[in-house]
Amino acid sequence: MRIRMTDGRTLVGLFLCTDRDCNVILGSAQEFLKSSDSFSQGEPRVLGLAMIPGHHVVSIEVESDMYLV
Amino acid sequence: MVMKSSVEDDDVGWGLGVPEKMRNNANWVDITHEFKGACKELNLGELLHDKFRFGLFEAMSAIEMMDPKMDAGMIGNQVNRKVLNFEQAVKDGAIRVRDLSLPELIGIMDTCFCCLITWLEGHSLAQTVFTCLYVHNPDLIEDPALKAFTLGILKVCDIAREKVNKAAVFEEEDFQAMTYGFKMANNVTDLRVTGMLKDVEDELQRKVKSTRSRQGEQRDPEVELEHQQCLALFSRIKFTRLLLTALIAFTKKETSSVSEAQKLMQQAADLLPALRSSIEHGIQSQNDTTKGDHPIMMGFEPLVNQRLLPPTFPRYAKIIKREEMINYFSKLIDRIKTVCEVINTTNLHGILDFFCEFSEQSPCVLSRSLLQTTFLIDNKKVFGTLPMQDMIKDALRYFVSPPVLSSKCCLYNNHQAKDYIDSFVAHCSRPFCSLIQIHGHNRARQRDKLGHILEEFATLQDEAEKVDAALHSLLMKLEPQRQHLACLGTWILYHNLRIMIQYLLSGFELELYSMHEYYYIYWYLSEFLYAWLMSTLSRADSSQLAEERLLEEQQKGRSSKKTKKKKKGQGARPLSREITMSQAYQNMCAGMYKTMIALDMDGKVRKPQFELDSEQVRYEHRFAPFNSVVTPPPVHYVQFKEMSDLKKYSPPPQSADLYMAASKHFQQAKLILENVPSPDPEVNRILKVAKPNIVVMKLLAGGHKKETKVLPEFDFSTHKYFPVVKII
Repeated sequence: MRIRMTDGRTLVGLFLCTDRDCNVILGSAQEFLKSSDSFSQGEPRVLGLAMIPGHHVVSIEVESDMYLV
Repeated sequence: MVMKSSVEDDDVGWGLGVPEKMRNNANWVDITHEFKGACKELNLGELLHDKFRFGLFEAMSAIEMMDPKMDAGMIGNQVNRKVLNFEQAVKDGAIRVRDLSLPELIGIMDTCFCCLITWLEGHSLAQTVFTCLYVHNPDLIEDPALKAFTLGILKVCDIAREKVNKAAVFEEEDFQAMTYGFKMANNVTDLRVTGMLKDVEDELQRKVKSTRSRQGEQRDPEVELEHQQCLALFSRIKFTRLLLTALIAFTKKETSSVSEAQKLMQQAADLLPALRSSIEHGIQSQNDTTKGDHPIMMGFEPLVNQRLLPPTFPRYAKIIKREEMINYFSKLIDRIKTVCEVINTTNLHGILDFFCEFSEQSPCVLSRSLLQTTFLIDNKKVFGTLPMQDMIKDALRYFVSPPVLSSKCCLYNNHQAKDYIDSFVAHCSRPFCSLIQIHGHNRARQRDKLGHILEEFATLQDEAEKVDAALHSLLMKLEPQRQHLACLGTWILYHNLRIMIQYLLSGFELELYSMHEYYYIYWYLSEFLYAWLMSTLSRADSSQLAEERLLEEQQKGRSSKKTKKKKKGQGARPLSREITMSQAYQNMCAGMYKTMIALDMDGKVRKPQFELDSEQVRYEHRFAPFNSVVTPPPVHYVQFKEMSDLKKYSPPPQSADLYMAASKHFQQAKLILENVPSPDPEVNRILKVAKPNIVVMKLLAGGHKKETKVLPEFDFSTHKYFPVVKII
């Protein structure tokens, strides 16, 4: 799962938990700065378990071959 | 909190991708709208979570993003400048690698020095030295002075880190050894770097000479300024070279290099005034650094390594100010010079005392590490030349003159005796090396470790007693007029007692004891430990005397000219100073113990008042590490109460009697110490406490301020173990 935050950073990790307010917990999370499509920012920062508060979530994406109809 | 487990048949797909797959060639589908909509269907407090990989532990330990306390990556977006690394900054033009002005060079170097010191004080490299962009890749620097300087700083860091790691006398509060994969100028040799620094130094020296004022000439202010600035830069380059060369000297195995290091450090100290007076020439930071904020200036980016830091909550390193840098260097150099002195002491007890004394000034981790690695080079021989076991034998001879180690005794060449003593000494090696290493730790950790090493010493004590007995029975058969009673045991006991005393006294230094505990701590010290120490020392002394007399007897037979009449007390006995100091300490402790009892009688000691309070539990906890010691046997609470019970005297003493007794003890300590030849600072410190206490106790005995409700104060500022008692 890939989540873009309000400050422009992107977190990529394993979706583990969410609640009504859309607070999301990702496992093995990696932090990419600004754009994660280009690799101009170099290595991602490994965070481990990270919680993104719902009000800081801009967008949520999953990989298409895992998209469940 | 209501938890709903995840939908089973959807498990296969959810979140099971390998992170490597989540890269730019994966096909991402935006599900924001659907996700948020689905979330709204949950109830308040209801969670949707992975069946196997999520539990309360995960819920608790996830770091919260966008919270400055936990999200170290956030700060990069909060500042209004772009955070660039070295290569990016060069490309961007934000940083220059050539044609740097003198003020720029001076300012950059000074800030680098500050970062170096902040690192040595326990912060991470990533938040100190490596916030200087130049050190990330010195090869890109074209300015020769800056290039040489950055290589020099990297080498200093590398050697310092190596020494601290090797000495292993640090804990996480002392030092951060992580290098985050930074390159520490490994592609250049130490010699090359010192050479580069020397070249720059020589060039600058030429400039300094050419711009100096000449007699009879009008002084051009511009030239004068250039002269000052060149001199400032020259001093900094030379300082760096001296510091580096001194550290390199410490990496060599010969003890002669230690003396060389000492000389280099003195030369570096001589440069400090020049450094101090030229700080103003350097460019200053653009922000206010008075509160410890990292300076923002060309060449430095405090957040450049933010992403390398672990995801625990971010710690910010407060870089010290330039004005403090000189003071720090001055003290560091003094400490290193002191460390170099250790090679002048060659007996084990002297070395132990040296380590203890050095530790008392709470020295920095670098100097402590240098002392350790100088003492035991590659952990094999003392100063690289003396085997530990020989030093132990020498210590035994000096302290207690055991016959088995005397060349005049038949046991010396007796096979079995040699086996016994050699095996015992071999077993002593490790505990004594550990003891010396313990004295290299910071004061707080030292106390803890001293408590633990008592177990090893208890085992040694046991072995010593057995070996003594074996040697004694051997000696009885071969040389009946000689004795080998408790020689080794006495020596181990001496060390045991030293450790126990240090353990208790350090509790005062670390402010661990409450006022209502003072009485039993001082009691244990004066009535028990110091009493034992005195008898141990006098037994050792007698043992020495016995050996000396025997040698005299043997020599009498040879030449009458050689024998001199040994008057009693001729010259100072080797242990006399230690015996004297122990007597003084014992009296100080006794004085304090009686003071506390008397104050308690007068209701001047505040005691804990809660329902489940038990003084016995506190007492047993304080003396718990002593339970593993066999000699002296630990004094348990009930026994202590019996031994210290004043009711066994008739009539039982009143507070006034106890104050007078305390006063006499302080008086006795004063008398003893005033007669010590060539008093050291320690003697004077104790006198500064004993003298006022004599007076205060006499006043209290006379009923001074007996009715006051104000509690007395204990001032440990003069001596960390013995307070001056103040009646308000």
